[in-house]
Order: sequence, then structure tokens, then C-alpha cells
Amino acid sequence: MITKILLGLFSGVAFGFVIQRVGASDPNRMTRAHLMIDADIPRFMLAAVALSAAGLFGLQAVGVGRTMVLPTSLVATGLAAAIFGIGWGLCGYCPGTTWAAVGEGRLDAVFALAGGLAGAMVFAHLHERLIPLLYDPTNLGQLTVTGLVGNHALALAVVLVGLGAAIYLIGRIWHHDTPSE
Amino acid sequence: MEQQNSNKPRYWNWLPAAFALAGVIVFVFATYGPPASSSGFVSALKGAWSSLAPDYIASKAHYRMIPGPGSWLFAFILGMAIGGFIGGRTFKKPVTDIPPLWRRRFGDDATRRYTATFLGGFLILFASRLAGGCTLGLFISGSTQLALSGLYFGVVIFAFAMLTARLVYGNATKEVS
Repeated sequence: MITKILLGLFSGVAFGFVIQRVGASDPNRMTRAHLMIDADIPRFMLAAVALSAAGLFGLQAVGVGRTMVLPTSLVATGLAAAIFGIGWGLCGYCPGTTWAAVGEGRLDAVFALAGGLAGAMVFAHLHERLIPLLYDPTNLGQLTVTGLVGNHALALAVVLVGLGAAIYLIGRIWHHDTPSE
Repeated sequence: MEQQNSNKPRYWNWLPAAFALAGVIVFVFATYGPPASSSGFVSALKGAWSSLAPDYIASKAHYRMIPGPGSWLFAFILGMAIGGFIGGRTFKKPVTDIPPLWRRRFGDDATRRYTATFLGGFLILFASRLAGGCTLGLFISGSTQLALSGLYFGVVIFAFAMLTARLVYGNATKEVS
């Protein structure tokens, strides 16, 4: 148990440090990304996913690690993503970055974190009502690209090509202002 | 293209930073499982309420499915705050309480900014708990596992965030660099 806590703490410190250094915990930078005037944060996120997917493929090849695929609920996952996007676009923070930004000393992040606690508390209260209403009826199960194409290596290749194309297009389409202010 | 002021601290380039973050993510998959942040909020709440309202916490499914604060999940978000603190202390660029773009659009009223971030924080956590994860726990963790839920969530959050930012900031961005 204590090992798990220390591993969590260590992983969190490393994660928080990296996102601070790339500027993902800066809500101004995140907003610039959403306004398509800073291509670096979305490219950073998508490249991190691509590299992690390749790394996880390697881990699984040697039988290390644990995976857990969340189900796709057509309505709940989509509706939640829409609400999430509105909140993210409004404040420039996502759940993880609020903690790093509070650590940095950003006062507006303290309010985002408090709002997050309130939001989680309200959802937890309504869980029994909302999950059967929104999540369960269109729950398609733990779908993966691997399941669709029938082969893990091929699925990885498909996802990497998709992410690579998205990274390329973001680099082409987003304006390139001077970053960071 | 480059900043004219060379004293200005630079953020890390996105590609090496992506390698660094992917290293952390793969480490987490190897030593724990899929990384997540929004669950840690529930852990924190569970810890805070367990002593005040133990019967309520025990009666709610959402608190039963997430471990309390003595867990990897809570340690991870606490670690993120420490990582952000270390990063911030060793970085020359001063942090802002009101981001420049927001200030340009809505002025110096701190209450307005804090109300907006409280509301934004509320929405992202409410939504994350409905979907089962956030940017990290669903989009990044899920897509790393090639899960459709993660890819679907990722496309929609970016689309709505970009749309919302356009509506909130309008064209005030044109002259801001």
C-alpha cells in the first residue's frame, strides 16, 4: 500500500513538473491553443498519446503492466465530452492541470479546483440517477480499435497514422504567433 | 518569430516534452495501471466526508467505486501539485492570477475570473465523472490503450473547447500576441 502511494506521488511529481515546463498548466497558453494561435499544446498532447501507445505496446509484448479500457457510451461519453469541452474552453484548465497550477501559485486555479470538487460532489450525489439514464442505455462496451481491426499491431499502426496526421495538420492550420505570452 | 527578449524563459519544445510525458505515462502503466486525475477529486471528497457523514459516503455508489485518500489516485494528484510547485519555483516566468487574454477581454475584475474558473472547474469534473475519466484518465489513458471511448472523448472535448473559446474570447485575440 505504502509502495503504491509513493509510486503515485513520484509519478504525480514527474507529471506535474513536465506539464508545468511545457506550459500546459498555464491557462493562457491553453486558451491560445483552443483559439488556434498556439499549436504546441495540442501537438504535445497528441504526440504524448502516440508515444505512450507505442510504449504500452512494448510493455504488453513483455507482459508488464495493467490496462483497463473504459466503455464507450454513445450518449454519456459524448454528452460528458461536450460539457467538459465547454468548461475547458471557458477556464483553460483540465482536472489534472488545476493541481499543477495550484502548485505553481495561480489563484484562479484554486477556484477551478474548488469548482471541480463541487462538480464531482454533485455528480457523485446524482450517480444513481444519471448513470442508468444517460450511460447504460447506449453503453456499447469496452470497444477498442484492436477489437475493430482484429490485431493489436495493426490497430496501433492505424492510431499512430491518425495521430500523426492530426499533429501535422495542427502544425499547418494553427497560426504561428510567438508563443508564451 | 523568436522572442526578442532573450531573458524570457522558454517553455519546453513540444516534442521532447511529449517524450518526457510519455515516459511518465508508460512508467505509470507499468507500475500501477492507467493514469487518471479526476478520480483523485473523488478520493479527496471521500476522505473529507468519511468522518463527517460516513453513512452518506457508504450509501453512494460513486464513493464506493473509488478508493479514499490513502491511494495511488490521491497521491498522484497531490504529486501533481508538488510537481507544479517545483516547476514554478524553478521557472523565471511569473504566474498570473488572471491570464492576459482574459484580462484583455474582461478586464481586471478578479471576481469575474474566479467565478468563471469555478464554473469551468465544476463543469469539467461533473463531466469527467459522468464519462468515467478526464483528459488524462479517459482521453490520454484510453487512447494509449487504443480505446474508442478515449478517442471519441478526445475529439469532442477539443471541438467544444475550441468553439467555447471562440464564443468567450471573440475576436479579442487578433491583436494579442
